[in-house]
Formats: sequence, structure tokens, C-alpha cells
Amino acid sequence: MEEDKTNKESPLKVNRRHFFSQLSVGIGSLALGSLLIPDLFKKEQDVLTGRALGIPHFAPKAKRVIYLFQAGAPSQLETFDHKPTLRKRMGEDLPESIRNGQRLTGMTSGQDKFPLMPPAVKFNQHGKSGAWVSDFFPHIAKIADEICIVRSMHTEAINHDPAITFFQTGSQQGGRPSMGSWMSYGLGSENKNLPSFVVLTSRGKGNSQGLYSKLWSSGFLDSKHQGVLLRAGKNPVLYLNDPEGISRSDKRHLLDNVSSLNKLHHVETGDDEIESRIAQYEMAYRMQMSVPDVMDISKEPESIIKLYGEDCQVPGTYAANALQARRLAENGVRFIQLYHQGWDQHGNLPNEMAGQAKDVDQASAALILDLKQRGMLEDTLVIWGGEFGRTNYCQGKFDPENYGRDHHPRAFSIWMAGGGIKPGITYGQTDEFGYNVVENPVHINDFHATLLHTMGLQHEQLTYKYQGRRFRLTDVAGNVVKDLLA
Amino acid sequence: MTSTTTKNRRVDLLIFGLSVFLVFCLIFESFLRLPILIAWLGRWHPLILHFPIVLLLIAAFLGLTGKNVPRALLTVATVTALVTAISGFFLGKEAVEKGNLLFWHQWLGAGTALVAVVWYWLDGEGFGNTVYTKALQVLLVVLVGFTGHFGGMITHGENFLALPTEKSMDGPIPDNPLIYQHVVARILKNNCVSCHNPNKQKGELLMTDLDGLLKGGESGSTLVPGNPEKSEIIKRLYLPLADEEHMPPEGEKPLSTSEIQILERWVALGASDTVRLNHLGANEPLASLVKEMMEPDPMEKWAKLPKVADSTIQRLSSDYLTIGRIAGSTDALHINMYKPPTYDPRLILDLKAISKNIVQMDLSGLPIGEQEMELVGSCENLEWLEVDRTPINDTQIEGLKNLSNLHTLKVYGTDIGDPSAAVFKNLTKLKSLYLWDTNISQSALDNLRNAAPALLIDNGIDAAIQPFFVDRDSIPISGNQDRAIE
Repeated sequence: MEEDKTNKESPLKVNRRHFFSQLSVGIGSLALGSLLIPDLFKKEQDVLTGRALGIPHFAPKAKRVIYLFQAGAPSQLETFDHKPTLRKRMGEDLPESIRNGQRLTGMTSGQDKFPLMPPAVKFNQHGKSGAWVSDFFPHIAKIADEICIVRSMHTEAINHDPAITFFQTGSQQGGRPSMGSWMSYGLGSENKNLPSFVVLTSRGKGNSQGLYSKLWSSGFLDSKHQGVLLRAGKNPVLYLNDPEGISRSDKRHLLDNVSSLNKLHHVETGDDEIESRIAQYEMAYRMQMSVPDVMDISKEPESIIKLYGEDCQVPGTYAANALQARRLAENGVRFIQLYHQGWDQHGNLPNEMAGQAKDVDQASAALILDLKQRGMLEDTLVIWGGEFGRTNYCQGKFDPENYGRDHHPRAFSIWMAGGGIKPGITYGQTDEFGYNVVENPVHINDFHATLLHTMGLQHEQLTYKYQGRRFRLTDVAGNVVKDLLA
Repeated sequence: MTSTTTKNRRVDLLIFGLSVFLVFCLIFESFLRLPILIAWLGRWHPLILHFPIVLLLIAAFLGLTGKNVPRALLTVATVTALVTAISGFFLGKEAVEKGNLLFWHQWLGAGTALVAVVWYWLDGEGFGNTVYTKALQVLLVVLVGFTGHFGGMITHGENFLALPTEKSMDGPIPDNPLIYQHVVARILKNNCVSCHNPNKQKGELLMTDLDGLLKGGESGSTLVPGNPEKSEIIKRLYLPLADEEHMPPEGEKPLSTSEIQILERWVALGASDTVRLNHLGANEPLASLVKEMMEPDPMEKWAKLPKVADSTIQRLSSDYLTIGRIAGSTDALHINMYKPPTYDPRLILDLKAISKNIVQMDLSGLPIGEQEMELVGSCENLEWLEVDRTPINDTQIEGLKNLSNLHTLKVYGTDIGDPSAAVFKNLTKLKSLYLWDTNISQSALDNLRNAAPALLIDNGIDAAIQPFFVDRDSIPISGNQDRAIE
């Protein structure tokens, strides 16, 4: 009684009993409220735990990607972005209202004139969709109804290295994981006997820019997600074969012993990279069997060889790589990255582009047809494109027969096919000069978000914590371009 | 003392006056034309109505529990009840045509106010604690409840208080739906009808039936068949979200892109209420939009599959057999098998334990036989099956006849013949079938095409395109020896 009285007199005088009884009501209320938060006591975000990794977030449309990267940046104005205005106003200076003070590279910023240059190739509409394709690509024109042309791509970088690095890793500076590595990290491997991320390179006769392993690096992700470069010729993977005189069973013993030593070391240091090294030794052992099998095209029928072009029998050509890409996709490789070098036409564009187009046209189209007849276009996404576009004015002297075009990040064209992308559409638009995007712009981040989406991954949830923060392929931007999804 | 009585008298008068006014309004409703300013007072109804609800309930509660009902409380409650009823009447005049809900709300609301007045009067006459007032109090509680409920249904839609259900109560869209009745009306019902119904005809627009849409609202041409650009309904859906005129208004969930597209195409095609899905051409975008809407979310569909533990998946997996969840934590599994150095059918036969969970299965190129195909035939939830380039035969295909969920089937490069075509005909959910390089005759193929017009049958690369690839001299412009091997 006495206690109660004091209690009433001053609200601050609380004895232990009252403190606890009130506290229990308070905690009880909090608990009640917390029932409304469904995942409160679950482990932090599933994607960070082992279990959900390697499983898409939602039912995927595409299970694998074949990326036909045209390194050096093919001109959109000679491929898919038809601009009759350039012919009408040929030789005229690019209106300042269009350029609007946007930066140029050091290669043309000194020019006192920016004469508009029409393409040296004709454009025609193809397929039921009426897509505009230049005559440089007669085979791709035949599959116009299978592909989705995006003419409104734009990027931030203006030079090759940052631009291609941006495209591959989502950052202009190196060091981040490549998109193939992100896919491997997010979806795991379909076939444990092959790497989930494979790189094939080829080179045309056009002006080339370098390729370097940072483009397929796994960055801070586990090194097992790194792209594996398959070389042309006898040894697709360097040092994969056993030395002379070592039998496969000897190799097995060797690996078992090395592995047990490595496991001891792992117990001592706890370094996870050791485990991934053990796994890689094992995979290499199986790859000794699987890689030669996949790379051997001798069993491909004549009709397929002809489809891709006779070139596909010559290892190291784009056509050979395209055929190889299909074989790798069939064998469960998640991300197959092709690079074809030689698209950097600062000069001699009409000739060089004709050659480059000849290298890739038939094989790219053949790949689509081949995937389609195998039902693989339903779950394989194919992408064709470079790292940026090229200027609508000529670089150097004005000569419609032999001109060049400088780098242009403001607008460029790529195409995609299969894997949950709408076929037979042309998306986005540039102004009549082909300089700025005026409708449905697609930024590289948006492109990445869309790519991940087709693979069943939410780009905002595919993260990796490193150096104190979570990283994403799309960093802090990117929107899925729903209009592109079938 | 005198002043208090005078005041009381004035309050009595006020209440009397308001009651008379209310009754007058109700009786002569059809003759009344409200001046703009008076009509505007009606807009205060949603604000004021909360006072009488709370005050009357408190007063009734006090009275019913035998406590003294303060005269001041009862006074304020009665006055606000009257003001609310009157303002509500003004607001109700805005409706062009009164629906059932509004009718009941109006009369119950007026009744509430008048019962309150009776109670006020009895109380003033000293009958505050008699059984009569008690009865009035009970009646008031009931009236307040019903009036409020009808009012709420007018504002928030009739199903606002309906118990939440997991799935949309609409049920699935029937096969070959009527575009208006089963698709368009559903979209309108879920997004528009809560404000544009007979009870709450916002903008004088009725969206519960096609006549109402064609008649339009106060902005005129809501729906111009064949002309979405001129149709107010489509225009407003496309306005920026922040725009005053955008529909649904701020705070309500906007329509999805595909919902808008469905409405737009439906209007463009003439806004018919007799067109069915099968009347639309194959290339009509409306057809694919509707089909997409009919497609249930796969994750929901898979929720009914039996549970399968991660450990089971691990146990059955091997280096050459990949088993994985299709997405998230679903129990739907995909199986990918790659040719091992020594093939053992047991790897596949062991999958019996999870046969109900297998939704996608890739056995391409494996030397599978009768036993394996028997297992495949028992995977009743299978949706995607690849048995291309395998030694299967017609008898084994016969075993697939119960796979009623199958939508993608690859059997190309096998020896199956016409008996298999008959089996495919009965797989009703089948959407794509790849069967080139088999022994199926042209007549059986035509037969199948006729029987299942919606089925996409891939019989190899389009004969119109193939010669363009295969017959052409595809040796590139220059020799490629110099870039063959790096």
C-alpha cells in the first residue's frame, strides 16, 4: 500500500517490481509488433548464405548467355541505325544544337569542322518486323524476325578501355567481377566438368584494340568464377594436359595426395581460397576429358559447317568460335563470351567494316538459326554489340569513299535474341542525326539489370560484400527494361 | 442561471432547426438544386462524419453502462450528427444516379441523426435513464455501425472489408476467353470500378459495363472504339503519374504496362464485347498479352509439389548429373545430365525418389534406353524434356503420354516415327516441339499441325532461309591463314 502511494506521487519513483511489470508489457508490445516483420529472425538475406547461391531468385527465362562482343565498337550508322538525314545533309557541319557541347575524344576535338557523313552502305528493311539492317549484314538481315535491335544504348565512357571495362564489369575502372563471373556466382555451374564462364577471342583485319584478362576476371569473387580463355588449336586450355608419360591414374593419385595436403592447410589457415583451389584441380582433371570432347567439331555434319560458313573449320576464327559457343552452351556453360577484335574504324571505315562484317555476319546469324532449331533459343540469350557507337561526322578529311568515325558514347545499337527477349522488335530511337537518344534510352546499368533479370536474378539482390560494402554488377543504378522482355 | 437556460434554449432551437431542415431536404430531394457554395459544403462530409460516430458511441456506451451521460456530450453529438447528415445529403446530390449503397447510406445516416435528436429531447425532458432511452441507445449503436459500413463501401469499394484471400478471387481466365468479359472487365474491376460504380460515379462515369464506358463521363469520350488516341480512358492511363488527370488517381496502384496495353489494343480493335481470343490473329499483340495474363505464375503452380530436402538433392547429384532448384526455395527441380566417361543408367533410375519434383530434364545425347524412358514417363510434373540425339524409339515415346504438363519437348535427331506424332497430338499443353531429323513423315506432320494449330513445331531451319547460308560461297574475302592460330 505504502509503495503504491509513493508510486502515484512521483512518476519517476519506480520500484523494481513496477519496473519489471511495466517492462514486460513494453517488451510484449514490441514482440507483438515484431510479428509483423516476417523475416526478422531469419538469417540475413538469403543470397549471402551458401544455400541460395547458385539458384535463381525467380523462374528464369534464360539459362545461359552467349555474348558476341564486337570489340572496338562497330558504327551504329553502318549497322542498324538508319539515318537518311545524314545523306541529305551530307558534308554539312553537325549542328551545335545537336552536339550541345558534349565532349569529344582527343582525336577529333581539334577538328574545326564536323561534316556529317552518310554511311557508305545501303539500308533495307527486313522480315515481317521491317527492321532496318545495312547491306553489310545480309545473313543477319535474314533473321531480322528473331532478333531484338536496341538502337538506344548509351554509355558513359568515351575510350575503349573504360568503355569495354564498364560493359564487362559495370565499372569503368578495372577490378570488379565481370558479368560472366557474376552469373557464375549467382547461378552456379550447370555442368561440373566445364567452367561456367568461358572466353573465346578472334581478330578481324580491321583496326584493333587490346583485350586483356581483366575483362573476364572474377574481381573480388571467388576465383572459380573467373572466365576461362579457350585458345584456338591443340591446347584450348594451357597446361591442362598431363606431361608425357603420366597416366590418368597416376594423375588421380597425385591429385588425391595434393588434395589431402591442401585440406590440412585449410584447417590451419581457414583460407577459403584453398578450397576453391582443390575444386579447381578436380575440375581440371575432369576437363582433361570434357574439353577436348566439346572442342572437337569433327562430328558436326556438313550442313552445320556450311551453315556457319567454311571458315568455322579454321580454329581461331569468329565462325569457329560461334560454332564452339553453341557446343559449349549445349554442354551447360553459363556464360560464353566471344570477342571479335578489329571494329575501331577511325579511318578506312567502308573497307574495314565490310571485312569485319564478313567475318561475323554469317556465323552470328547461323548461331541463331542453329540454336533455334535445337530449341535452345528458348533458354539461351545471345547478345551482339560493341562498347559504344561512332560519330555521325567524319574523322579527318571529308571523303565519302574513305572516311572514319570517332568514338561516340551517346547512342549506339546492339541486338539480342532468345532467352526471354522479345523477338522481331526494334527498340529505342535516336534523333535524325543518330547522335542523341530521343526515345527509350538504355544505359549499360539498365542493360545489365535486364540481362540478370532474364537469368532469374534480381540485380539489386545479387550482391557480394567486400571491403565493407556490398557490391552489385549494377552498382547503385539500373532498371530492368521490361519492354524488351517477351 | 438565466444565461445558461437561454443558451440551452438556443441549442434546442438549433437542433430543432437542423432536424426540420434535414427532413425537408429528404422529402423534397428531387426539387432541390444546390448553389455551388452549398454543394461545396457537402465536401466536408468525410471530415465531419467522424465526430458523431465517436461521440454517439461514447454517449451510448455511457448510457448503456448505467453512467451519467453528460448533457454537453449529448448536445455536441446530436448537433454533429445532424450536420453530418445534412452535408452528406449535399454530397449525395453530386451523384447522377443513386445506387443501392448510397440509398441505404443516406437513409440510415438521416435516421441516425434523427434518433439522436429524439434521445436528446427525451434526455432533456428527464427521461434520460428510462428503458426507452436505453432502447434508443442500442438502436443508435446499430445505426451508426450500418451507416458507417455503407459509407465505407461507397468510398473504398464493396469488398474493402471482405476477408483477405491468398489469391485473386477472380479465378483463372477460361480457355479462349471473351476479351471484354474475361479480360478487360477484370482489369477494370480490379482497378477502376471501386470509384466508377452505380454508387460512386466519379466523374459521372460508370465502368461496370460496356454501355457505361461507351456513354462516357463528364469529360466526354471515354471510349472511342477503334481510336485509343481519342479515348479518354487510354489517354489518362498514359499521363505522367504526377498529373492531376492520371488514372487511377494518386495513392492508388497504377495499372501495369501490359494491362494498359491490353486496354489500348482492345480499344484499337473496336472495343467489342464479342471477340474471343481465337478470333485474334497470331501476330496481334493483344493475343500474346492476353495469353501472358492467362499464364499462372510458375512459382505458385510449383508450390504444391512434394517437399524435397537439400540433402536428397546432394545425394542424387554427381559430377555428371546436376540437380537444382529452378528458383528460390521451390521444390521444382531441373535435371541436367552430361555424358560421363562410363554411362550407368542407375544414375537416372535413382531419380525415382524425386520423380514428382522433376520439372525440367535434359538427357540430350545420352545412350538412354527403356528403363530410363520409363522413369521419364513417370515424372508427371515434367514441363520441359530434352531427349534429342538419343536412341529412343516410338514405344518409349508412347510412355510419355501421361506427361500432361509437358510444354517443351526436344526429340530431334532420333529414330522416332509416325506413332510418336500421334502421342504428341494428345499432349495438350505442349507449346514447342523440336522434331527435325526423325522418321516422322510429312503427312503425319501435317496431320499434327492441323490437330494442334497453336503448337510450334520446329522441323529444322526454315527452308526459305537455309539455302542462303548453305549454298553460298562462304569463304571470306581474303585467306585467313595469317590469323588462324595465335
